[in-house]
Amino acid sequence: MDTILVLLHTEADGTLAKPALEALGAAAELGGTLVVGLIGKDVQPAADSIASCGAAKYYGVSGDEFAQARYSSDAAAAEAICKEANPTVVIVPATSRWNRVLSGVAHRLGGRVDTHVTGVSRTEGALSAARWYYRQRMEAVVQRTHRPWCIALEAGCHEACAAGAGKATVENVNVILSEAARQTTVTGIKTVAADQQTIRPDAKLLFVTGAGWTKKQPDGKAHVEEAAKIILEFLQHSQASLGGTKSLVDLGGEGQTVLPFMTHLNQIGQTGSTPRHPKGLSTCCHGEEPHVIGWRFVNERRAINLDPNCPWAHGKADVLYVADALQVMSKVNELLAAKK
Amino acid sequence: MTEQVHPTVERQTMDADIVCVGFGPATGGFLTTLSRELVCEDGTAKLESSVAPGLPPQVICYERADDIGFGVSGVVTPGNGIRKSFPDLDLAQIPLAVPVKHEVVLYLLDPLGASRRSALLRCADKAIRALKGILPFEREAFKLPYIPPFLRKDGGLLLSISQFNQWVGTQLLGSGAVQIWPGTPVAQPLFDDNSVIGVRLLDQGTDKQGRPEAGFMPGMDIRAALTVVGDGPVGNVGREIDFHFGMPEGRHKRDWAVGMKMVVNLPEGCPLEPGTVLHTFGYPEPEIFGFLYVYPDNVASLGIFVPSWFDSPVRTSYRYLQHWMMHPYLWQYLEGATLRSWGAKTLEESGKRGEPHLVGNGYARIGEGSGSTNMLTNSGVDEAWITGVQLAEAVVELLKEKKPFTQENLEATYVRRRRSSDLDKQSCIAEKSRDGFGSGLVPGMLGMAATGFTGGMLNIGSEPKQPYKRLPTLADYYKGRIPAEELEQIVRDCTARGVSAHSTLMDRCGWPQIPYDGKLLMSQQDALLLGGKVQAPGGYADHVCFLYPNLCQSCGTKICIEVCSGQAITPGVDGVPQFDREKCIHCGACLWNCATPHPDNPERTVLDFRAGTGGLHSADN
Amino acid sequence: MSTPYQIVVCGSIVPDPLQTLEPIATPNGPALKNEMMLPAVLDPWAKHALYEAANLASKQPGSKVYLVSLGPKAKLQQVMMTMAQKVPFELVAIDGSSSGFTEASEVAAALAAAIKAIPGVDLTRLLLFGGWESASRGAGSTLQMVGEQLGIINQFQGVDKLTCNADGTLEVLERIEGGKHQVSKCSCPPAVLGWATGMLPEPPNNPQIGMVNMRSIMPALQKAQPAAVGAQGLSFASVSLPKQQRTTKVIKDMPADEIASEIVAWVSQD
Ligand SMILES: Cc1cc2nc3c(=O)[nH]c(=O)nc-3n(C[C@H](O)[C@H](O)[C@H](O)COP(=O)(O)OP(=O)(O)OC[C@H]3O[C@@H](n4cnc5c(N)ncnc54)[C@H](O)[C@@H]3O)c2cc1C
Ligand SMILES: Cc1cc2nc3c(=O)[nH]c(=O)nc-3n(C[C@H](O)[C@H](O)[C@H](O)COP(=O)(O)OP(=O)(O)OC[C@H]3O[C@@H](n4cnc5c(N)ncnc54)[C@H](O)[C@@H]3O)c2cc1C
Ligand code: SF4
Ligand code: SF4
Repeated sequence: MDTILVLLHTEADGTLAKPALEALGAAAELGGTLVVGLIGKDVQPAADSIASCGAAKYYGVSGDEFAQARYSSDAAAAEAICKEANPTVVIVPATSRWNRVLSGVAHRLGGRVDTHVTGVSRTEGALSAARWYYRQRMEAVVQRTHRPWCIALEAGCHEACAAGAGKATVENVNVILSEAARQTTVTGIKTVAADQQTIRPDAKLLFVTGAGWTKKQPDGKAHVEEAAKIILEFLQHSQASLGGTKSLVDLGGEGQTVLPFMTHLNQIGQTGSTPRHPKGLSTCCHGEEPHVIGWRFVNERRAINLDPNCPWAHGKADVLYVADALQVMSKVNELLAAKK
Repeated sequence: MTEQVHPTVERQTMDADIVCVGFGPATGGFLTTLSRELVCEDGTAKLESSVAPGLPPQVICYERADDIGFGVSGVVTPGNGIRKSFPDLDLAQIPLAVPVKHEVVLYLLDPLGASRRSALLRCADKAIRALKGILPFEREAFKLPYIPPFLRKDGGLLLSISQFNQWVGTQLLGSGAVQIWPGTPVAQPLFDDNSVIGVRLLDQGTDKQGRPEAGFMPGMDIRAALTVVGDGPVGNVGREIDFHFGMPEGRHKRDWAVGMKMVVNLPEGCPLEPGTVLHTFGYPEPEIFGFLYVYPDNVASLGIFVPSWFDSPVRTSYRYLQHWMMHPYLWQYLEGATLRSWGAKTLEESGKRGEPHLVGNGYARIGEGSGSTNMLTNSGVDEAWITGVQLAEAVVELLKEKKPFTQENLEATYVRRRRSSDLDKQSCIAEKSRDGFGSGLVPGMLGMAATGFTGGMLNIGSEPKQPYKRLPTLADYYKGRIPAEELEQIVRDCTARGVSAHSTLMDRCGWPQIPYDGKLLMSQQDALLLGGKVQAPGGYADHVCFLYPNLCQSCGTKICIEVCSGQAITPGVDGVPQFDREKCIHCGACLWNCATPHPDNPERTVLDFRAGTGGLHSADN
Repeated sequence: MSTPYQIVVCGSIVPDPLQTLEPIATPNGPALKNEMMLPAVLDPWAKHALYEAANLASKQPGSKVYLVSLGPKAKLQQVMMTMAQKVPFELVAIDGSSSGFTEASEVAAALAAAIKAIPGVDLTRLLLFGGWESASRGAGSTLQMVGEQLGIINQFQGVDKLTCNADGTLEVLERIEGGKHQVSKCSCPPAVLGWATGMLPEPPNNPQIGMVNMRSIMPALQKAQPAAVGAQGLSFASVSLPKQQRTTKVIKDMPADEIASEIVAWVSQD
């Protein structure tokens, strides 16, 4: 029988975030013995918050050293818990913190790892994981003979565990960090100012802008300033997350007049990000394959493009409005403003 | 012509022994032959470099495209020259290569009644239809019962030029004897009095007008004792040499065609066998020729040629290619096929008549730009290869004798070899074989037959005119079919929408809309992206330039917009077309599709086609 | 710090992302259709890592940049034609499969062995660069494992910026959730940096760099040792292209006002 260890880290406020609860939910369904490992400054409150999840045991590594998302300490903590729990399967939420260390940990344990997993299931007793290859181009279902099998489960791929709170007994695992493990310190988080924050992973809507916003329009001129205004206004009204095509964000690098609030972090697609949002609205974007790959996890898709034959029309969007996005979006802004 | 904006800027220079421009089959043949004579088995120099003493000669080749495997061609070829270079050639090593098995030539009738057919042709069509019970006639196609020997490719090869070039390049690099650099356009030849002394590479880090921007890096000067010009039909380096030294008396380049093609996965169960070669004529317009070659694994290469003697001011290729594929005879095989790749490129169809000075002090010309393509047999790849081989043999001879690459020495070695070869004999025969087409399809076909059967003794037609001289106005072309006022209105509307007019005009003349299926039939932009995978790295000057905006403003047909294979040239503000490099596939069609002669040179137009980066990223063509 | 840098960049080749990719089953597991015909490029994020490495090296005379690349020799050779004119580096080539379907730990073992074998390499001051994820396996695993095998526990992933201070400390910006960056300080190398886009533009082609690079690249390719990387213990129950075909409703000729209200209604509904 499998021993399934779910490794979780606490947030800055000591709680567990949604992806953590999702990983726990997925693990709980796999059968076998469920064990939870927690890492953070103080893990007891987090353990208590999931006390009824059915875990046979809770391990914890805590202390100031383990508050920060740092490879050396996280790897040491995870390794120590694994050595105690001796799991056959390790499941973590695919947060940036776990993505940074899980493969290294798997190596230390002599196990194997799969990251960016979008589903785990058991068929006829055998565990399988679904993951993508060639940057979201093809989906594979894999099985492994090596143990432990470490799996990083993407956010949004499973219902969160609904376990109620209670009192959990956490077995503290003592980890002493070497001198070398203290060479790195996390000194802070750099964010753009809140009013300029355009990437909102929890937004219901992904608003994607393409190079068309900066291109010559039918009147023979480009309207970049107006475009910037419309886009920002829409973001403010809709609280959508802003994505861009490579062509659009690349423009910034070449010193052209472009949308100042867009960076490479906004890029959606094969060499950008593949965010998860229930809805996506594409504007002035052609919809070429390397870009649309980034829409893999956007459920409902609509596009506005002047070209009735852009690839969105061919099975990539649910609705394509053949129209001038600058016009439509300024109308949309008017309507949204009026609603408030 | 390609004067870069900063004549005074400080440039780095690098010395080499031989610098080659362009990596097509011509340069492939050259480097393959040469590389075998440079280094001994043990890696020591067989011949010595003059710029790096002790080392073998430093040979560098610069190719404009982003990879050496992004070319466009047919290709069916007799392959004699190629086989001679690789006596143990194992076709299995080259993806998509297969021997020719079965050849068919088809005359396609017009099932829609939308094409422009002469009275003569209409009679012929009627007669064929009347006799269809006894003629080899199937699905609106008449199969020629006999293929003249000069057109046959018995024992030949089917290749993908991209995969072939890639394979040749891999062998060459593996030898370590030469260097090939894709993604590196040559801006211009460097002249010193009456010699070519090397080449200048393109400036990088500039805006579209060529002005320096962040990261500006002036194109380097590569100085070499010999510059090998193998830049193909529309290469700017060859053209600039022609402008500088002039063409030999009576020679000019006036016959052209653009070939647009696709590589497709044939539908499952398609009965066409690998090695099948199918040539068509007669449809979608009588002047348009087509080809379909079948590769292994149910893959086919197919396309059409739109020639400069098709006197239409709206001669597009893409829309015609779609109608051609949908001809009932071809559609029986193509329905359900999916696009793998797409591309287009110009063919220099003047052949021998377009032969420039083959050599001069410090330079030699090889390949299609040197007039090697045989217009009677429609063959260019093997011919280009052979010219490269001939030059390499000459170069080795001169290097061994330690003789300089002067015009005289190159004449005595390379030109002598070329003149005494079968290649030259054949192209002399072919020289006038196509002149008949100047008067239409029927005289053209008769002319080819006459030339072919008499070995060039009898030719039909007269010397070709410059393409711009042949072009009718839109009003003349559509006379009797679209009333003048309506025509003007259509053109005005399309211009206002920023698009070319050919599609609307074809709709108006009875061509049905193409039912897009997103697999094989799709918009031109999608073919560009899905099939051509076109890319344009930033930081380079535009390579298509309108030299005299005022002349464009008063240009009536604006054929450059209509013909553009990538929809990269569109109506612009103030009547001057605008160019979008991100859509350009470097086919070179705009070079010869301009309606206005250059004020200083009647063999040029006011549209300049320079060296540029990017373009197709498809490795199947 | 006045000591020159030793930077090893791990970067393999991937099919040009613009190409159409299709999986096929072979006796050795899944593969890409026409894999050998597809044009290849240096893995995009690893390419950024290489540019960052070269930029860093150029600031400290005597620094060295190695590109350690595992892939089929012929394909590596092709990709080097485009890479070698970009920035100076020395190639360490390993001849083996660059398929995304191979196992990260096997690739990591081959890379780590090749790095250890670089003459004169000093693992104690190594900067190990690479892309934070490949465009083939897309896992972000390999680099971590190479780091582990070389005993490096200062590791960073999704790096957009590295500042090497005069006192020898490193400051690193890593991508984290929500378009933010985590800032870390590391007192000294060795360190592993899995790069995201970084901050540098594509360098121009420099023919002189190309000539110099090629002199060492060709011998490196000739010397390339074969490495049998497979996917032991990993089995694929299925590999399939997602059914991405939707039925698209194409709406033409609708006035902008109406489209706007439709969109507002759609955006507002839960
Ligand atoms: C190695 C590699 C990796 C890549 N990775 C990515 C990636 O991760 N993400 C990515 O996005 N791309 C990626 N690409 C690039 C991708 O192939 C496309 O080039 C890019 O996505 C095109 O961007 P676009 O649609 O904004 O621009 P364009 O192709 O220029 O399209 C502009 C569109 O705007 C429309 N338009 C213009 N004006 C209006 C208007 N007023 N109203 C409505 N529509 C209008 C036009 O009709 C057109 O369809 C990659 C390419 C390569 C080579
Ligand atoms: C659609 C089509 C079908 C054809 N079918 C056949 C056929 O079936 N059989 C046949 O034998 N022939 C066929 N041909 C003709 C054949 O492809 C050419 O004759 C042949 O490729 C010529 O070889 P080349 O080496 O002279 O030039 P090219 O193959 O044109 O090579 C020249 C190279 O130089 C490069 N270049 C140009 N300018 C520069 C610069 N400034 N700097 C650096 N590089 C530069 C180009 O990018 C190109 O790669 C066909 C052509 C086309 C377009
Ligand atoms: S480039 Fe030539 S065809 Fe085009 S508008 Fe100008 S003159 Fe006319
Ligand atoms: S602009 Fe580019 S694509 Fe258009 S005709 Fe000229 S070369 Fe061909």
